[in-house]
Amino acid sequence: MPGKKDLHIESSGQLCIYCGACVGMCPLNCIYLDETRITFDERICTRCEICVKACPVAAIEIG
Amino acid sequence: MPSTITTDVLVIGAGPAGSMTAKWAAMKGARVLMIEKRQEIGSPVRCGEGMSKSWLPEVGIRPSSRWINLEVEGARIFSPREQAYVINEKHAGNEVGYVVERDAFDKQLAIDAGNAGVDVKLKTAALSLLKEGRQVVGARVKEYGETYDIRAPVTIGADGFESQVGRWAGIPTNLALRDMDSCLQYRMTNVDSDVRYCDFYLGKVAPGGYVWIFPKGDGLANVGIGVQCSQIKGPGEARKYLDAWIANHPAYSKGKKIDMVGGGVSISPPLKQTVADGIMLVGDAARMIDPLTGGGIANGCIAGKICGEVAAEAVELRTPTKEFFQKYEKGWRARLEEKLYRNWIAKEKLCSLPDEVFDKVIEALQSIKLEKLSVHNILKAVNQTHPEVTREFAELL
Repeated sequence: MPGKKDLHIESSGQLCIYCGACVGMCPLNCIYLDETRITFDERICTRCEICVKACPVAAIEIG
Repeated sequence: MPSTITTDVLVIGAGPAGSMTAKWAAMKGARVLMIEKRQEIGSPVRCGEGMSKSWLPEVGIRPSSRWINLEVEGARIFSPREQAYVINEKHAGNEVGYVVERDAFDKQLAIDAGNAGVDVKLKTAALSLLKEGRQVVGARVKEYGETYDIRAPVTIGADGFESQVGRWAGIPTNLALRDMDSCLQYRMTNVDSDVRYCDFYLGKVAPGGYVWIFPKGDGLANVGIGVQCSQIKGPGEARKYLDAWIANHPAYSKGKKIDMVGGGVSISPPLKQTVADGIMLVGDAARMIDPLTGGGIANGCIAGKICGEVAAEAVELRTPTKEFFQKYEKGWRARLEEKLYRNWIAKEKLCSLPDEVFDKVIEALQSIKLEKLSVHNILKAVNQTHPEVTREFAELL
């Protein structure tokens, strides 16, 4: 997506603990939690990086 | 078209606030259906597992060894220099009294709801709200892969910190960064914690939050941290701060981690609005967590009882409107709002205090015996010895 940095949510379980902190804190409600999967809506996300701060275990990176 | 079932009250989420709401609505005569997206109520646990006990009779919860690990005498607040201020349980905030097994506690509340006549569906997630104009009339759900509609005159959003229901209903629930904590906790064994106390460590070990130790007996304890999001600079800082704290405390660094949980906690002022036509929010979804302590169980249950009673009444009178739900809005606010607001102000001030000031405050408290522990009384006490410290808090004095 032009003009947007890459947002990567590691939700395969190597880092992610599926706690939902990112989901609850996303101001645009564009992160979704299944029991074993976290996804986000590329079209809505503005890369505000709140989820990066919310995540207690560094499973979300922006670059 | 998906098939449709009907009920009087649909409760989305089977945590403590949801079960409590469901139970009281059923006890007041409504048909209640409670849905839970997970396969098991209460699991996985996302909680420090400390709670006070004074509020339990008010909402009809009987203490049971099935969910109580142990009873603590009080709390110890540690200054950055690790001077302890000991608080007797009766005077402590909402987090001290019992250390519990949250999964067993949540299950007990669901059992109580079931016994009161509530129907429960597991593995059933809400996908969206059903609306007729502005009126919420139920939810589209997915149960074990099958999508269908549940129509109900009253829908309750009890779906926790990551609540979708409130947002779908158009109730503003977004939080400022400074009003959220990023939390992480390990359950650790082989640690030396004092089973008489829940411990809290303040200062830059946990910027804007604290490190907690909730002992579970036999060398087991929950060791966790909350860090204010506005003070977080990079990825994964909650874990970095917690690991650093553990590494610096030999009683814990020798421990073994056997469990790890995380999550978000709101530390916000009360929401302006928790109801809309056909819908009410309760518990963490309604941002009812105490912003000073981060505890949400007691407030969720207390509001849940009021919410359930109002839900049943709205069904009976056929008045599931925003106007009628003011009865809930006013009810929970009368019971909880003043303290939530005061504690939010106190949190706002405390979050910005440098370590030296925390040290002075704890020092001052050590030298005084307080009749009743409250933010107000603490400030009055500190004001006597360190007026320069309390200057910032003038509006609370």
